[in-house]
Amino acid sequence: MKNILFLLFVSLVFSSCSGGPEPIRFGHDSCDRCKMVIMDPKFGAEIVTAKGKVYKLDDVNCMVGYMRGLKLESKDIGHLLIVDFGNPESLINVEDAYFIHSDKIRSPMASEIAAFSDKALMEKYYAEWGGEILDWKGVKKLFE
Amino acid sequence: MKLLLVSIFYLVLIQTAFSDQIMVGASGGLSSIRWAVEDAMPGDTIFVQSGVYKEENVIINKPLTLIGINKPVLDGQGKWEIFTVSAPNVTIEGFLFKDSGKSSIADVAAIKGLDAHKIVIRNNVFDNTFFGIHLSNSDSTRIEDNRLTSKAEHEYQLGNGIHLWKCKTTIITGNTISGHRDGIYYEFVINSITRNNVSNGNRRYGLHFMFSHDAEYSENYFSDNGAGVAVMYTHSVKMFNNTFEHNWGSSAYGMLLKDIRDSEVLNNIFFGNTSGIFVEGVSRTVFDRNLFESNGYAIKLMGSSYDNIFKNNNFIANTFDVTTNSNLGLNKFERNYWDKYSGYDLNKDGTGDIPFYPVNLFSVIIERIPPAIILWRSFLVFLLDRAEKVIPAITPENLKDDYPLMKSNDLS
Repeated sequence: MKNILFLLFVSLVFSSCSGGPEPIRFGHDSCDRCKMVIMDPKFGAEIVTAKGKVYKLDDVNCMVGYMRGLKLESKDIGHLLIVDFGNPESLINVEDAYFIHSDKIRSPMASEIAAFSDKALMEKYYAEWGGEILDWKGVKKLFE
Repeated sequence: MKLLLVSIFYLVLIQTAFSDQIMVGASGGLSSIRWAVEDAMPGDTIFVQSGVYKEENVIINKPLTLIGINKPVLDGQGKWEIFTVSAPNVTIEGFLFKDSGKSSIADVAAIKGLDAHKIVIRNNVFDNTFFGIHLSNSDSTRIEDNRLTSKAEHEYQLGNGIHLWKCKTTIITGNTISGHRDGIYYEFVINSITRNNVSNGNRRYGLHFMFSHDAEYSENYFSDNGAGVAVMYTHSVKMFNNTFEHNWGSSAYGMLLKDIRDSEVLNNIFFGNTSGIFVEGVSRTVFDRNLFESNGYAIKLMGSSYDNIFKNNNFIANTFDVTTNSNLGLNKFERNYWDKYSGYDLNKDGTGDIPFYPVNLFSVIIERIPPAIILWRSFLVFLLDRAEKVIPAITPENLKDDYPLMKSNDLS
């Protein structure tokens, strides 16, 4: 009995101190907005609120739409992260990302946007795809 | 040299005697499909005899009919897109496509069609291909009686079995698809018919619509997929006579309907799924004569769904019949059979005299606090449930069936 109480106590302690970004489990996690399972490791996004709640999204337009739905203000936001197209599965800060908007990009929710941490790599893809280069502000504007 | 002579001989033969038929194979004819395609005139038919062909990428850029005799094997050696079709009126029939290339950037397929209007892909086998069939900007297409399987070490290294992007008018019938990301995927496809296919064991969806209006899917069987069918951001879809079975998992549904309108869900069977139907942002849609049996949740009816009608359905042995996260009763339930209904029928008109409230109090609590599920079937929950039935406080008051049937609907 004592053991069970102890376990309960431990699990309570641990469940209350989560927070911070989590990796997206591709093929397992589903998008909090559109409910699709997140499968494509080149796309995906994550919102971490100031309180530490994590929302996973499959595409950048789902992220912008979900933030609008939650009515998140900048003080409520802990991290805004996006998957690096050039380095699949890894998340980078949206403010540090270079975005390409091009109809050659087939993202899960048809945002036609890919994010890059590496500027040189972004320019290489831009030469191939065309379209426009955006920063995070420009991306947000696109879906607002 | 000998080969060249033989080829020339056959070319001459072809052009003189059989101007519309070309043979490829070991026992007579050309030895390469690529040569045959290059030599052919538009409208010709190329017959390929059995054997293994490793031809890298063959580009079909004129109207042709390619027919495999005894399932010749086209081996992509894990590197190549096997056929790339860029002309209208191409028919591909009777081949075994094997080991296409895989890529995390490009959508490599066994058959890729670009502006391939009126393409017919019939009676082929696709074994361990990345995308099986991938068509873009191709109108009036038919994909019939193919068998597609895929396998991958990592589950996201999978393409879709049949993938259509920006196409108009397509018929997909009689195919069997397993082990892909989505069995069949439509994005910006207008006017499609998907009939009599089997889609099972795909990692994401058996069938997936994105922005693809005016569709019909019927007589299909979906089992053991991440979710059976996802219909998203689409309107005017007719879904009937399908079976959704054993789609299990925390985010698994028989059918996922998200932001759709003006559609019909008729005569389907939902058996043994975690959730039969997940409904969110759905309006003006009719759910008629479906069977929901042995599901965790028969219907998850979520926010911003309105003007939907659920009628003449049977709800049998589901843990929860309907759950919702909204208190607004903007949808109509009538003349369904609920095995949990315990009312009476004094006037003998076949419907119960008191309404049935299908939303269980506890399912509303679970919707808000998922871990509360561990209290299910406890005495406490039983008491809460009884109290709620007498004085409804949490469950939506308007979500009710005023004419619950005493006997189940005959859905045969």
